[in-house]
Amino acid sequence: MKFALPILLAFGLAGAAVAQDAGKSVWQGIYNPDQAERGRAVYSERCSACHGAAMNGTGEAPSLIGGEFISHWDTMTVGDLYDRVRTTMPQNDPASLTREQYADVLAFLLKTNGFPAGAAPLDKRSEVLATITITAAKPAG
Amino acid sequence: MKIITTLSLSITAALMLTTAAAAQTPAREGTSATRTKAGVANWTTYNGDLKGSRYSPLDQVNAGNFNNLEIAWRFKTDILGSRPEYKLESTPLAVDGIIYTTGGTRRAVVALNGATGELLWQFALHEGKRSAESPRALSGRGLSYWTDGTRRRILYVTIGYRLISLDADTGRPDPAFGDNGVVDLKQDFDQDMGDLDTGEVGVHSAPAVSGNTIIIGAAFREGFTPKTHNNTKGYVRAFDVRTGKRLWTFHTVPKPGEFGYDSWLNKAADVNGNTGVWTQVSVDEELGLAYLAVESATSDFFGGKRPGNNLFANSLVAVDLKTGERKWHYQLIHHEIWDLDNSSAPLLMDVTVDGKPRKVVGMPSKQGFFYVFDRATGIPVWPIKETKVPKGNVPGEWYSPTQPIPSKPPAYGRNGYVESDLIDFTPDLKAKALALASKYQLGPVYTPPIISTPEKFGVINNWAQGGTNWPGGSFDPETGIAYVFACGTCISSTGLLPPPAGLSDIPLVVGVAGQPVTMIKGPGEGAGADSPAPSAAPGGGNAGPPRLAVDGLPLMKPPYATISAIDVNNGSLKWQVAHGETPDFVRNHPAIKAIGGIPRTGQSTYQIGTLVTKTLVIAGENQFTTTADHPRGAMLRAYDKQSGQEVGAVFMPSTQSGSPMTYMVGGKQYIIVPTSGGNASGEFIAYALPGKK
Repeated sequence: MKFALPILLAFGLAGAAVAQDAGKSVWQGIYNPDQAERGRAVYSERCSACHGAAMNGTGEAPSLIGGEFISHWDTMTVGDLYDRVRTTMPQNDPASLTREQYADVLAFLLKTNGFPAGAAPLDKRSEVLATITITAAKPAG
Repeated sequence: MKIITTLSLSITAALMLTTAAAAQTPAREGTSATRTKAGVANWTTYNGDLKGSRYSPLDQVNAGNFNNLEIAWRFKTDILGSRPEYKLESTPLAVDGIIYTTGGTRRAVVALNGATGELLWQFALHEGKRSAESPRALSGRGLSYWTDGTRRRILYVTIGYRLISLDADTGRPDPAFGDNGVVDLKQDFDQDMGDLDTGEVGVHSAPAVSGNTIIIGAAFREGFTPKTHNNTKGYVRAFDVRTGKRLWTFHTVPKPGEFGYDSWLNKAADVNGNTGVWTQVSVDEELGLAYLAVESATSDFFGGKRPGNNLFANSLVAVDLKTGERKWHYQLIHHEIWDLDNSSAPLLMDVTVDGKPRKVVGMPSKQGFFYVFDRATGIPVWPIKETKVPKGNVPGEWYSPTQPIPSKPPAYGRNGYVESDLIDFTPDLKAKALALASKYQLGPVYTPPIISTPEKFGVINNWAQGGTNWPGGSFDPETGIAYVFACGTCISSTGLLPPPAGLSDIPLVVGVAGQPVTMIKGPGEGAGADSPAPSAAPGGGNAGPPRLAVDGLPLMKPPYATISAIDVNNGSLKWQVAHGETPDFVRNHPAIKAIGGIPRTGQSTYQIGTLVTKTLVIAGENQFTTTADHPRGAMLRAYDKQSGQEVGAVFMPSTQSGSPMTYMVGGKQYIIVPTSGGNASGEFIAYALPGKK
């Protein structure tokens, strides 16, 4: 099911006092569609039991979709999110996927949240992902 | 096999450095009193005292200087377990300059220098499978302190449900207590627990310690999808603080012949469980009564296997501290089927009602009612009326025709959702909200659960999270005013479906039409230091029901959360404020900007506990925001306790996830906030005013 996320995210961030550097952002097509599809399969098998088929969350497992989730990570990096997932998820068996699989799941999560796909897959190296900023607001233009 | 790890340094040396060995003689046996003496003020129980107040008379930090607070020290809990914890809920104790707390995925115990945060000793029990199987993992809510003027002990319950007594000076188990410092709480429990590793019971709360008596409750897996209605029974027990010997047991599910047994029809008490006390126990040491806030019976949303009112489920029970004998009880919800279990520590308050001094007990609740009773007799201070409630149509369910609803004070939190609660910032949003809500059942408090269908997925409610959840309330003993946080929009949809074969012996569990019915995990389950083997995930199902959001905005109107000041002298709401910055995704939403913004909404969370001082009510935020005033982070806010006006706010690099406390050492007041969330693992952050004093 599609939600109005691109609309939600397409607003300007109030108070630009918090400066973003001009580095890469999640709005620049940092994963590709094939990778997101692979991630969908991994998510379905390893993540959906707790976070829900549509990432809506169940019980204590939070929703992974929508403004509340994205703004929670605003100004952090994809590397922060990647390592949080890689080192703690699945909650009952952390670090049990390959780095590629974690990157695939992240690509699926980015796609589901309305961030655009690009040509190249998401890198599997934390240090590279740490150079990509999560920005809740879509940059103007 | 148990493995104990202990790192022990000299507490005595630390004491000399930090407090000049401030007098350690308590008024009497038990938890030493909160006091301010020689520049030292203590916080000796989870709630600051046994009355549940979360109050300190300190006032060095006040409205005039709150904004000057700075981080004095930080203690990261990552190393206290096999992996970091992201749900740190423990409130530390402060005793004569030393901080004691649980922390980490191992639920280790540490002693820290209160002025610097330096680690003095660490203790942990490695429990293997028993810990991995526990329904209540992670660091828990905290620990307890006891002294007789000579001996000093730290008491806590491990993830695997063992009660431990440690020497407060060294962190080593007390050999005179139980089996070399350990009492196995799965034994001597008046019921057969079967395999001690897998028998389901645990507890998060800190023990209540009064005189020579330790009181311990019980908690279980999340009750959305329990395996069996015949779950473990959550009996409450007391133990001798010196020997670990069991002193008494209160059967929260009565045995045959005991009072309340016949409130379970068809002898259902024999084959139903839960009904534990998982929140803090409060104690009136003068009256000699312990107050037990009992949770629901199995299961949370379907009670067809337990017809009747089900005493003492959802009751407040006053028992004799020495014998465990029931003195009085009051059932707040009959035959509960909403997961509105008692979540808050009872607040033992001395107030003046109609010109007369009264000793009362107040109960905040998930359902936004604040129940007030004479705490000696259990008689409501203001009438609580048995009120007719709707009967549901779930096959096999048994419904109570009435529920008790307090006449005073007014409900301080939302407890039902009707059309007028839907967002209406613009006509378009309202129309979309109505369309979305048509797929669900709306209704006032005690609207019963429904069978999930593609036409009506479930009842929109705040049953599981509240309202007021485990952090409970706080109160000012000088004025008789209670301060209670409540979530206004911690909503979800609850519907019932039959479980697949092998999941449960209960005919109906929580499920969503079109989705596979799966076991729903509870807080921290599977996230402890000893994690269990992963379970296979079922596939199938469509994309599921829509999110409870409209154009990305929450379906329900603000306030998303509030702090209320309840004057318990007259049963009125003195003030109420939205607590927490408006979330970024709301504040920055084009529809909100188009209408010129909205007043502060507060933040939807159930994790917030309040701290009361001489002049302030203090609470942090549980969500990260990025605003014009501060980079990504959260604020620790202070309100004037008389008016509710915000008088200060300081930046926190992480979010409050446990309730704050305060103490003084070396003449300096500190405030510790337990934090975690997002990518920030558990950390205690201590704030103080600048400069040496």
